[in-house]
Amino acid sequence: MLSLTTLLRPTRRVHAHCDVPCGIYDPEQARIEAESCYRIIEKYHASTDELFRQRCVVVKEARAEETKHHIDVMWHDYFKPEHLTQYPDLHDVCWKASKAASKVKQSTDLEAARELLGLIDQIDAMWQGTGGLAKTRVSGRPS
Amino acid sequence: MAAGIAAGAAARRWLDVVEVQGSSMAPALLPGDRIIVESRSYAQRAPRPGEVVLAVDPREPRRELIKRVAAVDAELGEVELLGDAPDESTDSREFGRVRVDAIRWRAALRYWPPARAGRL
Repeated sequence: MLSLTTLLRPTRRVHAHCDVPCGIYDPEQARIEAESCYRIIEKYHASTDELFRQRCVVVKEARAEETKHHIDVMWHDYFKPEHLTQYPDLHDVCWKASKAASKVKQSTDLEAARELLGLIDQIDAMWQGTGGLAKTRVSGRPS
Repeated sequence: MAAGIAAGAAARRWLDVVEVQGSSMAPALLPGDRIIVESRSYAQRAPRPGEVVLAVDPREPRRELIKRVAAVDAELGEVELLGDAPDESTDSREFGRVRVDAIRWRAALRYWPPARAGRL
């Protein structure tokens, strides 16, 4: 017979939790990945080594995908409906930033990478304007 | 022995035991609480407001959530789930209502810890 202990052993864990207990959202994650893309594109154009250039493309595509992911996290998870009232162009900026990250992934256009950085800076400004900096960064670090 | 295992397996289709993780259902349920869940009720009827249920996480289907039914839309077949502790809960406020067929198990009884054992 199965013992009572066996029958009363939980078969699985069920979740009564909160997704993001840390509440850390910081556009700098996107910015660093986008800077990476920018520099890689510069190096790509400066090099004549075909193998190196291929590696640049591979790395840039991965970094651009990361950039897009971090932009999406800001857009979907950090920004709330009340932020939209404060910044009516919030969706437009995030959408353009996502699109720009896709363009950087597809091309080796330095201008596209510069545009992406500019859009991330706009997200950064909205993040700071909605108190993101104070909520996220542990004090002691210069912003 | 074989009969025992068969009986146990059959019983597990109607009754099962789970452990709670997280504190979005505090103070009713606390992390580490062990719960007997049953699936007979929802084979016959829809969940009702106030009941504590297991629901397939709409964002991650391999995971099960334990939340309380806040409202049921019988016409659309949708259920609104909320945690008892709103500040510590990710629930329908974030992921919307869930399909009624995402809910099979009703939390019936806590058996552990013994000091808080009883019906839910």
